[in-house]
Amino acid sequence: MTVDVLSSIKGAKPSETVNKLFDVIKNANINNTTIVENKNAVFLDDLREDVVVDSSEIEKQIIIENFPKEKNGYLVVAKVIEE
Amino acid sequence: MSEIRKIHQQLMNKEITCTKLVQDRLDLLKQNTHNTVNSLLDETALALAKKVDAKIESGEEIVLLEGIPFGIKDVYMVQGTYTTASSDLLKKYKSAYTATAIQKLLDAGAIPLVKENCDSFGHGSSSENTIFGAVKNAVNPTLVGGGSSGGSAVNVAKDFTVFSIGGDTGGSIRQPAGYNNVFGFKPTYGRISRFGLMAYASSTDCVGPIAKSTEDIRIVLNAMSGKDVKDQTTYQSSSISKENILNTDAIKTVGYFKNFINNDAISAEIKADFLASIEKIKAKGIEVKELDFFESDTLVSTYYTLAMAETASNLSRLDGTNYGNRIEGDNLKDTYSITRSENFSEESKRRIVGGNQVLSQGFSDEIYLKGLNVRDQIAANFEKDFKEVDIILSPVTPNLPPKIGDSLKDPLAMYLSDAYTVGFSLGQLPTLTIPKGTATGLQISAAKNNDELVLQFANFLNDLI
Repeated sequence: MTVDVLSSIKGAKPSETVNKLFDVIKNANINNTTIVENKNAVFLDDLREDVVVDSSEIEKQIIIENFPKEKNGYLVVAKVIEE
Repeated sequence: MSEIRKIHQQLMNKEITCTKLVQDRLDLLKQNTHNTVNSLLDETALALAKKVDAKIESGEEIVLLEGIPFGIKDVYMVQGTYTTASSDLLKKYKSAYTATAIQKLLDAGAIPLVKENCDSFGHGSSSENTIFGAVKNAVNPTLVGGGSSGGSAVNVAKDFTVFSIGGDTGGSIRQPAGYNNVFGFKPTYGRISRFGLMAYASSTDCVGPIAKSTEDIRIVLNAMSGKDVKDQTTYQSSSISKENILNTDAIKTVGYFKNFINNDAISAEIKADFLASIEKIKAKGIEVKELDFFESDTLVSTYYTLAMAETASNLSRLDGTNYGNRIEGDNLKDTYSITRSENFSEESKRRIVGGNQVLSQGFSDEIYLKGLNVRDQIAANFEKDFKEVDIILSPVTPNLPPKIGDSLKDPLAMYLSDAYTVGFSLGQLPTLTIPKGTATGLQISAAKNNDELVLQFANFLNDLI
């Protein structure tokens, strides 16, 4: 897939400036055998409780207010199934 | 001198009312020509100030942060306020909830005055990538305010806010603090909850204060720190005491990266001033060691590779479906792409496209995974260094702030200007900008979770330089 499709940005093309940054990484003389350690992973024994927390009335009201389009009391989204 | 303590005393002694304090600052913000304001929170601020005044009038005690006016970078959720990320896409978006860090300040009684201008979604180092006009430097308005938390740093420097809450992913608190001669602290990653901070690059995003003294930084840091079930990367930390950071005997050894100083990219003025600061430290009997580190272009490229990958992923949710400035197309995919093409700035698009490029098949191994590998090596390098030294000192930036307009013309130069800040972000280290030592300040870093030592050394340097 091309980057314009991946990014959902019309006509997007890779930038020369950004490619220069990537070239530095490609050419970096580093020890490729190092195993990437995921030091940012969270611990499974320290997860929050799996419970549903209902939003407050004001939160629900603002979420609806933020919705881009409304028609006859319904929130309008684009058709997902075209054919 | 702590501005927070001074105002607290004035309120307690009834030398000023909280309403007047807040109104005066709101007037300054309203009249200011530095483009620091995205929206003012005047009604709620004045209502909160009245409550503080009523409390004082009735003889009740107020706590230290109660009634203190502060600013918030416009990437934090504050329920009911516009939270635009300085972007067209979210220019009418209202927060449904409040960020944990901000809620803690509200709970402590601090009064938010303003949502502050910044680079759109944190994408920039100059606060020019914004729909609200380029932020002008507090000292010289023809220069940039720095970024991405430029509006926050300028507001503190100009005394429009007592402190402001910025966000730092690759230097976005420390660099504008340096450009505007104030203190700016990026704590250890995870010390303060990111819940309610609009995500840029989640693995380095940090919440932090900008203020005019180490004592104010300490007070605000303590108020915001702590474990939060809504951000699983947070950890429990202990409060840093005023007494502990006044004791500067703990620091015996300081290091600096010689390749940061011995290169052509650093200005002669910053280099000379940095080395003069090192000599003053040595003269106090502290051992100073030269350290080896990765080249600047490797640091910048590693940071941007990972940050772009993360922001491409984080911002993929912004498609105009549930919120944001939707622009209708012929079908669902068309709506997504028109909405994103028309509403994201050129800089944000550049980063999203770059991120998708490195995450795509065929590129991820040779760029993204290699970038992760370099990051691990940078972190390992820091671990090794902090076995030898207590503190690493560095300049904040290689050069003085650019003129407004220059960074937009040359994005590569803008990326490279982050050379001294991004390494500490990748290492997730606590790092403070102190507005002393060079024209854009000095950066003090310590090992992970050693935020207290950073503030200790800042007090030492503050007295020394």
